Amino acid sequence: MNTDFSDLNIMQMSDSFFPIGLYTMSNGLETLFDEKLVQTTDQIEEFISTIITQQIGPADCVALSNAYDFAVSKNIEKIIYCDKMLYSMKLVKEPRDAMCRSGSQMIKCVKSFLNDNLINLYYDAIHESNSPATHPVVTGVCSSALGVKKDSAVTMMLYGFSVSTIGAALRLGIIDHIQSQQILHRLKPRITQCVKQYLAISIENMWQFAPEYDIIQMKHEQKFSKMFIT
Amino acid sequence: MSSRISRIGIGGPVGCGKSMLIERVVPLLAKKNYRVCIISNDVISKEDADRMRQNLATSQGLLPENLVIGLATGGCPHTAIREDPSINLAVIEEIESKYNDLDLIIIESGGDNITTTFSPALADYFIYIVDVSGGDKYPRKRGLGIETSDLLVINKIDLAKMVDADLDVMERDAKIVRKNKPHVLVNCKTDQGIEQVTEHIIHDVLFDEPPKKLVSGVKN
Repeated sequence: MNTDFSDLNIMQMSDSFFPIGLYTMSNGLETLFDEKLVQTTDQIEEFISTIITQQIGPADCVALSNAYDFAVSKNIEKIIYCDKMLYSMKLVKEPRDAMCRSGSQMIKCVKSFLNDNLINLYYDAIHESNSPATHPVVTGVCSSALGVKKDSAVTMMLYGFSVSTIGAALRLGIIDHIQSQQILHRLKPRITQCVKQYLAISIENMWQFAPEYDIIQMKHEQKFSKMFIT
Repeated sequence: MSSRISRIGIGGPVGCGKSMLIERVVPLLAKKNYRVCIISNDVISKEDADRMRQNLATSQGLLPENLVIGLATGGCPHTAIREDPSINLAVIEEIESKYNDLDLIIIESGGDNITTTFSPALADYFIYIVDVSGGDKYPRKRGLGIETSDLLVINKIDLAKMVDADLDVMERDAKIVRKNKPHVLVNCKTDQGIEQVTEHIIHDVLFDEPPKKLVSGVKN
């Protein structure tokens, strides 16, 4: 019997049915929409592509990639180090909290169906507030435990970010269901290139620079009326 | 390590009085020294959470302001309490780790349709609330919320005559549809029925246990 379930594990973790709350996040798009700065499919694509280039790629993908490697070598201290490093790079409270809530729920969910020593150790560190449970680092550790390849894990996270933002655009009424798939299709080269670019960068070389995006997220924190958590 | 605090989920259509019910029940619980936290899911704003915080925490001082929490649900109220309650659970776990002496966490759903239910991982007890202005057909039309909730609350009974809703019909149908599970007729404006709802919570959720505050001697 085939016991390699890695493909199914990718599908399970990247499915919108996987309970980590990504559907509650517009990743700043709600603010841009309210201020009429994003109104077309091209602008949505550009927005997602820019965030991948300036933040998700050089920071989140690098943190995931390093956490994955440290998970393979069973180095819990270094995993926690990656977690704290990424946490400290997220300047805005609202998305930072949301990122950690998604991460803590992801590891709780994976722990419920997978008995793995490293997952248990990392979960305990999170539960005792010794590690912040950033979503990318948790994704790296869980992907390793589930036999998902590193490049697939990074792709999966970028896909999740893109889908949650496009899903928000759909619910905000900016685009329709077909346009949402067209944007996702057009983002594939950017996602693939990003995976290649950041798969082998050390955690010490992680960076992000998206001040305008940070300000957008801060403005979202202050909004009185909103549909999305971020 | 923190232990699990009892949780109630309150669901119902938009404008049926979910927040008002909480605003009426919490003072009675507080009077009996039970300490609660409120998590208010809202599809579009934090207005309900802000109002409850202002009324129950700031004005009446019944709970700390940071224990009334508003959550946006991405426009998907039932997803946030059933299919993927992870964001609610994450917030609850944070509360449990910081305030383990609480007796109860009340989770209010965003306004939704009659198929609303709470994930059993999120709520131990489910109160579904409707109001009479939708007509006396409401219980008869069924729906998961009306049928499966632990307690059905029928609110705004003072409006029944104005909208030609027959409360006897609503009660009769509620008993049939719910197979005699409890329901309470309520007027949140006058507190009619609120004491009954509170007693259901104390008996069915807290199992008539005394408040933790009294047992441990914890002070506010």
